[in-house]
This record gives sequence, structure tokens and C-alpha cells, in this order.
Amino acid sequence: MMSPDTEDALAEIIRTASGPLLVQGNGTKAGMLRPVQASATISTANVAGITLYAPNELVMSAKSGTRLVEIEAALAKAGQQMICEPPHIHGENQTIGGIVGSNLSGPRRVTGGAMRDHVLGVRAVNGNGEILKFGGRVLKNVTGLDVGKLLTGSFGTLAVMTEITFKVLPVSEATGTVVLSGLDAVRGVAALSAGLGSPFSVSGAAYLPHEKKVFLRIEDFASSVKYRTEKLASQLAEFGAAAILDTDASKIFWRDVRDCKFLDDAPAMWRLSVVPSAGPAILAALAPLGVTGFLDWGGGLVNLSGPANEATHQAVCDAARAVGGMWWLMRAPDPLRTAVDVVPPEPPALAAIRARVQASFDPRGILNPGRLRAA
Amino acid sequence: MQQAKPKPGILDKRAEIIAGLQAILPERAVIGDNISLKPYETDGLSAYKQMPLAVVLPETEAHVVAIMKFCNLHGVRVIPRGAGTSLSGGALPMADAVVIGMMRMNKILDINYADRYAVVQPGVTNIAITQAVQDEQFFYAPDPSSQLACMIGGNVSMNSGGAHCLKYGVTANNLLGLRIVTIEGEILEIGGKQMDAAGYDWLGLITGSEGQLGILTEVTVRILRSPEGARAMLAGFASNEVAGQCVDAIISSGIIPVALEFMDKPAIHACEDFAHAGYPLDAEALLIIEVEGSETEQSEMLARIRDICAAYHPVSMRVSQTAEESAAIWKGRKGAFGAVGRISPDYLCMDGTIPTSELPNVLKRIQAMSDEYGLKVANIFHAGDGNLHPLIMFDANDAESFHKAEAFGADILKLCVEVGGCLTGEHGVGIEKRDLMSVQFTPSELDQQRRIKSAFDPAWLLNPSKVFPLSGLAAAE
Amino acid sequence: MQTNFTAAQLEKPEIAVANNILRTCVHCGMCTATCPTFVTIGDELDSPRGRIYLIKDMLENDRAASQEEVLHLDRCLSCLSCMTTCPSGVDYMHLVDHARVHVNETYQRPLTDRLLRGVLAQILPYPKRMRAALNLARLAKPFAFLLPGESMLIKRMRAMLNLAPAKMPAPQSLGGTVHKAIGRHNGRVALLAGCAQQAIGPSINTATIELLNRLGIEVVIPEAAGCCGALVHHMGRHDEALEAAKRNVNAWSDGAEYDAIIVNTSGCGTVLKDYGFMLRDDAMAAKAAAVSAKTMDISEYLLKIYEPTSVPPDITVAYHAACSLQHGQKITAAPKTLLRKAGFKVVEPKDPHLCCGSAGTYNIMQPDIAASLRRRKLDTLKAKSPDVIAAGNIGCLTQLAGDGIPTVHMVELLNWMAGGPKPAALNGV
Repeated sequence: MMSPDTEDALAEIIRTASGPLLVQGNGTKAGMLRPVQASATISTANVAGITLYAPNELVMSAKSGTRLVEIEAALAKAGQQMICEPPHIHGENQTIGGIVGSNLSGPRRVTGGAMRDHVLGVRAVNGNGEILKFGGRVLKNVTGLDVGKLLTGSFGTLAVMTEITFKVLPVSEATGTVVLSGLDAVRGVAALSAGLGSPFSVSGAAYLPHEKKVFLRIEDFASSVKYRTEKLASQLAEFGAAAILDTDASKIFWRDVRDCKFLDDAPAMWRLSVVPSAGPAILAALAPLGVTGFLDWGGGLVNLSGPANEATHQAVCDAARAVGGMWWLMRAPDPLRTAVDVVPPEPPALAAIRARVQASFDPRGILNPGRLRAA
Repeated sequence: MQQAKPKPGILDKRAEIIAGLQAILPERAVIGDNISLKPYETDGLSAYKQMPLAVVLPETEAHVVAIMKFCNLHGVRVIPRGAGTSLSGGALPMADAVVIGMMRMNKILDINYADRYAVVQPGVTNIAITQAVQDEQFFYAPDPSSQLACMIGGNVSMNSGGAHCLKYGVTANNLLGLRIVTIEGEILEIGGKQMDAAGYDWLGLITGSEGQLGILTEVTVRILRSPEGARAMLAGFASNEVAGQCVDAIISSGIIPVALEFMDKPAIHACEDFAHAGYPLDAEALLIIEVEGSETEQSEMLARIRDICAAYHPVSMRVSQTAEESAAIWKGRKGAFGAVGRISPDYLCMDGTIPTSELPNVLKRIQAMSDEYGLKVANIFHAGDGNLHPLIMFDANDAESFHKAEAFGADILKLCVEVGGCLTGEHGVGIEKRDLMSVQFTPSELDQQRRIKSAFDPAWLLNPSKVFPLSGLAAAE
Repeated sequence: MQTNFTAAQLEKPEIAVANNILRTCVHCGMCTATCPTFVTIGDELDSPRGRIYLIKDMLENDRAASQEEVLHLDRCLSCLSCMTTCPSGVDYMHLVDHARVHVNETYQRPLTDRLLRGVLAQILPYPKRMRAALNLARLAKPFAFLLPGESMLIKRMRAMLNLAPAKMPAPQSLGGTVHKAIGRHNGRVALLAGCAQQAIGPSINTATIELLNRLGIEVVIPEAAGCCGALVHHMGRHDEALEAAKRNVNAWSDGAEYDAIIVNTSGCGTVLKDYGFMLRDDAMAAKAAAVSAKTMDISEYLLKIYEPTSVPPDITVAYHAACSLQHGQKITAAPKTLLRKAGFKVVEPKDPHLCCGSAGTYNIMQPDIAASLRRRKLDTLKAKSPDVIAAGNIGCLTQLAGDGIPTVHMVELLNWMAGGPKPAALNGV
């Protein structure tokens, strides 16, 4: 494994590479999507460190190998946070490059936006070994094509990111959670929709089927949280009496939602993004197959785990496809991940464009080949 | 501004091309006579003009597909146009190009409150989306100043912002899906109605791509529930520096207002004349700060902000008491560009973005340039997100004045890049900033972007004289 | 925005005025959004900005108007919604007025078009001729559907017939009458009795006079005053328009002292308020300016003095803002304030800024666009479930009539609540 210390060294390795490279940070997401067949591995782990932090301008830059926990600690010190609260489902070693490369977002995505919404600028090395920067350090920027967004979620298949600049926000003074009990999934999502359709700026909206409970989060100044949770609970009275979690209890609960602690450790794990109202039907359709999970993002994010076999995977894909949704195979043994569509296939016209775009970054096809789709 | 050379043979075939388009489109959907083409020669940046080959006004996606296939077959360039409000000349025609005007595709196709999205055609105006959902207390968040007129297709193409994107984000953050027609006439469905899409973020790439990659035919936007209420306050300060410090102090306190707008003295005067909003005419700089929530929440938040402002010795401070007062305050701000039209026959509106902390420094240097060029400038600034709009006043009937204004504008944008910012925050590169792209990007960065365009548009037929310096077009051809 | 006039061109006063107007425009495009024809047709050429550009090009090149320019200028309703929207204060009204004169002087319209315009100009401004014509039209109305084909002429004929009321009201001839205040004397005003209005909506003048008299205001209708000239003005018949303006200015300046010149047809009010500009280079410029300054819409005048005396019925009034009132004269709140003061529940349609398609003779000359705007306006009005539609302009009332909801001038409602009779249109409500 090659772990260059600098961007220049990393670029030189790519420029002179003679074959496919497995691109990673600390490799925590190696079990997600498809395994890569490569002769060598290049890691960004040593291209690390926070390079800019301007709390007044709500912006931070960090080299891509910087560990997420380090970033979160630095932000917390100034009373700020990552807006999309990236999940820690892959342990504490994951890097900012890994989070941005996989565009993974937590509960706050429902109203606060995804990781891709907060990436302001990137530096990256493309498959030719060219060092490129796109975007910048300012919150608004429409200069040229938004290559930063294209690289976000591209799993290292276009370019290797070396530095990322992103928007941050203050941590709210308080957090409160309205909890409604005894609701089946359909009623539960109706309650989530009502909550998200309320004027109280809900920043988290999850449903736990095994507990038959709905959770709606409010983050704001303490007086607002008190006012809004109470008002929200009364507006949702038709869904039954509400309990309210205080700041400490809320923080623990939403951390568990973020990290998918409500999934069992079955061998396969999926993440589905669908219209919120479709969430309950997906849970119901897959339960008989031993696939269980919970809903986040108001019902629109279906986190699932279950048996790792092609038939089950196909059933999960079909359930997502039936409602025009998306899927990601988040965890499974290598043979299954190699055999199936780990993300939805593309229609031919888009596939052709995608292949050309990919070639425009990496004409030799050496960066993480097959990571998203079979080559 | 230099235009690309017409493609050989196209101008000679003009009559044939117009007849061909007429054959595949309904009556009065093709404009080909010079008198009628004239009003299409420019957009919101009227300093640049170019008569197009023809204008087509499709009514359906099928029309768009037919137009694209026709133009691709005949190698004719295509320039998309929405409401024609671009301030960067995004819809400026080319002599050998067909302008495809999307104004007739103006239907709202679907609204879903439970799943919080709306599906609209590209010719729907920005404000029409909010108007369509406001009876249910929902709204579409991005609110560019031209929201009354500008169309969602243009908003997506330019990734438009607005005064409230400090809290709600820009267009890209409020989209779920798109349908686009490629130059080959293929329909691509991008994203959908769910939040995250798998694979590459095509939605993010296409948003803000200024018509370089395809023609939009459908847009799915997120709609949000309106807050309980909103109220604006005005705080006038004795200098730009002090106002800038106050902005810093507000953000540092952990308060993120929904809007935080800054105007300098010339802007205050122009806008007050138009909106009669009670802007303080004796202030050197004005902040408009808006908060949301219940009455009590608004009052608490405004009290906190007032306390912060008080430390910077404002020359005036006023909290709006009624919805009408707030509306007047915003009317002034949103009509600011047009209002400058009252004090100067013409203006160029710059759109650079700078790190907020650089504001006092940048304003000082802009003032120095203003003195040097002998042209007045009014500054309007989305202070929360660093987006600066210097409005350079000039006289378009005086060629020298215009050339000075262009040079002045270029100097401002170079300054923005120099202090760590960028050329454009929300208006797009268009034709206006095309030749400045190399100030912000290295040749290999520009090449990478050009190659992405080529992947979508191999023959560079889509809006090819915009965004990229002309050498890119030459190389592609 | 840049203009390209030569110094010689700019010596012509009307070109100098046009140039100044054009220079104010910054081509921002805000006006397009609130223009009824752009919203309906979706073509820059049918937007204010597009028309401004067409006019600019035509004038700069000193070119006779062509079919294309005339098409798009004719489609302009002159609703002036664009002027309400314009942040730069572009004086579109005077620019398009000038362009219409230019069209009239330089463009030969097709024969049928010329004939129709000539007929309208010869009939509408004269109450007696108007009445005679309407009587004929009323007889022909049941046969309107027999008119063959979809040519523009046929459509225009059909539109004209459809506008004729099914029942003709009693004739009204108010010229040369004085109506004394009742009980007290608080003031003296001249009333523009209108031309078409006397023929098709005499109850409006009656209600106006009654109400003013009861509020202690004497109402004078000088014999010499006649049609305001709006109709010919909007056809670009410059000389005829000026003639009407001069005649009226003289009639109202003729020794008698009026506190105000009251207009209850807002389309006319906009023109009266423009006499000062129209006659700016005339010997009677000062008198004209004085008349313009004294002109008030009835709602403006009533705002300070109106007092209802009756117990209000439970009636929901949808207020339709006439363009001439809301855009032309910038009077937006007064009519609603008055109706609420009278005790009515007042509602407004969505997109209140959009024209109903009446616009003088527009509903005859542009029947398709007018019909589409009428439908849109009626749909948005009906969405508010009103008992009655009220407006301050006879043209709008005629345009919106006949769709199941009574239409009535707001002054009739105000008069009703101040001791006058219940408007006939409301029988059954």
C-alpha cells in the first residue's frame, strides 16, 4: 500500500501508475458497494490535517486523509458541527475524503442537506495525475461546472480528492425530540410528514418499526426548542400523546439513528432513498424475507439489513425500483457484491455519457475500477 | 466581447434551417424575420447584443426533442433562454445559433405536500412555484431578486441564489430531479423525487451548467413549509467597516438569520427612492436582517441581534412592526438593480464572492477603483454568504464609458479571486466573465471541465460561446 | 439601455421624449412576468420589454411600422401592469402611445381592419350613436353563432355582438345638467358622464350623482364636455384624441370652479390625468395640467367623505381591480377600503394585477386573447365564491358579465349602503 505524505507525491504515483489502483482513505468502506480488483492500493491517510478554519465564515478546509473524528472535535471546540452529521457506521477511522467520496449523510439531511450540499471546494488528482481544484472557500460559487459535486459520492472513480472545503454551522443551544408511540409504519410516516410539514423546522424525522415509535427532532435556542416541541406535540395530537426527550437524551438517540444502531448485524445491509410515503410499503414487502430496518429522513431513507443472497438483494432492488427509488448495497460478502448491481443500473443514454465523463477524468481507467458498477 | 466565429455554411443555409424548423413545430413557434428577432438579441445584460439565426418556442418536451435532433443533424448551435433575465448574458445569441425559448413550457405538473415536492416545467417563474403552494403554507426557498420574472429553468442553469440562501441554500440544494434533453435528442431522467441519487451526482453537475450539457424540460423541486412568521430589521452604520464587523459578530454569536443583507450608501439612496421603505439615508452602510419563527421567537432573536448591533454604535436601528413594513423593506432590496436604473442610465452588475472578513478591504479597494475609473458604484452584498454585487454605473451611449465599466468590472472580479473568492456567486459566468475564467482556473482545470462538456455535447453545439474561453470551442472543433 | 438616435432625430420633441424613456429601461425583464399577454402567449415580442425593443428599433431606424410591429403593439392591452412592476420607472404608457401614433401615421392596415376601427371611432364616443348601434346588435345577438368561419373579422364581429347587453337600459342624457346637494353643501364637482357608459350603464352615473348629492356635493355635467378621447387615443388617432382633450379642458375650465373633476370610469380617468402631458406643447398646457391635477377617481374622492347609513347585508364582494385604476392611476386600496367601510366582505382574486381582457376596444379587436384573459379572471374570481363582482370601470363590468355572477360598479354598492336603491343587478342575491 502506498500512503504518500503530500498531494504532489500522490499525483506522481497516479501519473506513473502502470495498472489499476484501489483508492482509499483508511479503507473503512471497503465492504460497501463492489470490491475493486487492483494491483496496488493508494491511501490518502497521510495527506491529512485541517488547513483552514474560519468559524465566522462557517467554513473549514481539511486534507482528505483527516479523520472525521478529528474534524468533529475541532468544530465542537468552536461550538460548530458538520451540517449533515455523517454517519459513523464504518467506525472511527473514516476520513473526510471517505465521507465526501461516498456522500453519506445522517438524519439532518432531511432538512439540512446532504454532504454534497455542503462541499464548497475540492482539490483532487485525476487519472492523469493532474492536480486540479474546483470551487473554493466561499459559500456561494457558480464559477464553471460544479465538479466538486460530481466528485462527491463518486467513490474515487474519477479523481482522488486531496483537500475538501465545506460549510459548517453552529451547534444549536438545545435539542428536543417529540416521540409518538403505538403507530404502525403508515401512520408513523404520516406523522413524520405532518411534522416536516409543520412550521417548526424539524431537523430529524425517524420511525422505528420495532418500537412503533416516531421521533421528530428540533434544534434551536433553548426557549425555541421548548416552544416548538410543545407546539409540535399539540399539533400532532391526532397521532396520540407525545413524550419529549431533552437535549441529552435527544443527542444519544439521534447519534444512534445516525449510526444505524437499530439495524441488526445480519450479513447484508442496504440503504434505500425513496419518496417518504413509500417507506412503509418497502418495510412491509421485505419483512417476510427476513429483511428488517428502520426509516429516517421522514420515511425517505430506508436502512435495512438481512440475509446476503441474490434473491433477497433482488427483492430489495425491486422494492426500491417499484417506487422510483435508489439503493446502495452497504455491506455483503464479496461474492454477492461482485455479482449484483450494488447501485441502480443506468439507462443506456446516461451510461454512455457516464463512460465518457469517467474517461475525461481517468482515460486509463485506473481509479477504483468497478467500484460502483462492473466495468 | 468577442463572439465565436459562425460555423462555416450555417448562415448560408438560414432559410433552409428556418423552413426545417417550421416543418417540425406548430405555427408561430418559429421566429425568423429580422424585425421580430431583434428583441431576442439580448437579455438582462443588454450591453451585449447579437442577432440570432432564429428563435423557436417549443410547447412540449417532444418539441424540444425534435428541435435538438434537427439541430444536431444539421450541426446548428442551440442557445437556451428562459425569461431572459440573466445578468451575465447567459442567453446572448450567436449569429449562427437557434435560440430555444422555454417560456411556453410554463405548467406546474404535480404538487405533493406529503412528500414535499413540486414538478414544474422550466418556463414556470420562480415565484409562481411559491404562489402555487402558499395556500398550504409551503414555499420554494431560493429567491433571486428577479424571482418575479426569472424562470426555474434559468435558475437551475445558473444555480441561482437569493437573499435567503444563508439559511435555505441555493437552487442546487433545493432540487430533487430533472429531465433534460441531450443534443442528440435523448431524454435523461436525473435524480427523482427522493433525496439522494445513486451513482454520480448528475443533478449537482447539471445545476449551474449554463445550458452547456442539455436542455431542461422538467424540474422537481423541494418545497418547504413556511415558518410561522418572519420579520426584518434595519441597522444603519457609520462605515462599511463597522457594518462588516457587526456581520461577523452576529454569525459568531451562533445566530444564523434567514437573511443578512448589506447595502452601501449609494445603494441605500437608490432603493429608498424606489421602495420608500424608510431606509436610513444618513447611514454609510445598512444591514437588513431577517429572522423567522413565532412572534415571541422573532422578538427574542431580534433582541439578541439588536444587542449585538448596539455594540457597533448604529446610526439607526428599526425593527419592522408589520408585514407591510417588512414587504417594503424587501421590495427595496429586491428592486435594487432596477432602482439603480433610476440614478444611472445603465449599470453592470458584478457578482463576485469573497470571504466575509475581506468585505471592508474589498469595498475600500472598489472605491479606489471607482475614483480611478471615474465611474460610480453602488454595492449590494449578501453579507451572510459573501456574495458581493457592485453595480457599476455608466452610460451605454458613450462607448468609452462602457469600456471603462467593463474594465472596472474585470478588476473587481480579479480582486475577488485574489482575496480567496470567486468570479460569480449566483449569476453564472455567461459571456460576461468567460474571458476571466483563466484568472480562477488553471489550463488543466479548464480542460477538465471542457472534457466534461464534450462528454455531453461532443460537437459543442450547446451554448458554446459561454463559460469557457473561446479557445475551448476552437479546440473542440 | 443604449439607444442609437442621431442628433437630428433627437431634435424632434417626441423622439427626445421616447429616447428619455428608453434610456430609463435597463432591460431587466421584470415587466414580462406581470404582462397579461406574455403570460398568455409566452413570446418576448408580446411582453413590455419586447415591445419596448420593437419600438426602439423602429424609431431608431426611422422606419415605417411593419406588420410584425403592429401585431405585437396591437396586442398590448395598455393595462400598464408593467409600469407597476418596473423598478426603474420606465414610462411605458407614453412610449406605447407614441408608437401607436407612429403606426397610425406610417402603416396601412388591411381594409376590414380600417373599416372596423373607423366604425368604432365613429360610434363608441357618442352615446346616441352607441345606443342605436347596441339596439341593432341586440337584435342580431341571437344569431351571432351563425357567423361563419374563424377569420379575425368574424371573431371580432362575434365578440362585438356578444358584448351587447340583452336588455337595453333607458336612455340617459346628462349633458348640461346640474344636480344640487341635498341638505348640506360641502362642495361642488364636475362629473365626466362618459360616452359608452351613458348608453350601457346609466345606473352608474345615477348612483354617483345620488350618492354625492346626499353627501352634500353638488354635481355639474357641463354641456360641452364629452368623450374623454381614450378610445381614439389608444388607436393612435392623435389629432382626434387631442381634440377631445381640448374640448373637455375648455368645458371644465369655463369659469365654473370645481373642487374636483370626478371620473367613475377609471379607463377615462387615466386619460384625463394625462391631459397635462398630452397638451404639454399646446397653448392651453397650463389649463390642461390644472384639469389633470383636479381629476379624481370617484373612489379617491369618496375616501374621506363616505359614510354608510344602512345595515350591511351579508354579501361577499369580489373586488376586481381595473387596470386603469390599479396601474394607470395607482389607486389600489381606496375601493376596497370603501367597500369594507360599507360593510361588505371583500375578497380578491389570485393574480389581481392581470387584466380581464376588456381594455377599451381590445375585447373586440383581439377576441382570442381577450377571451382567454376573461376566462382566467372569472375562474380566479369565482374561486373566492363571491355573491357579486365589483369594479370601478364599465369596460371590466361588461367583460365579466354573463358568467353567472352579477357585476356591479362599486359606487352602486356604496350608494345602496348610504340610502340609495339596491342595484338592479343584485336582485336575487
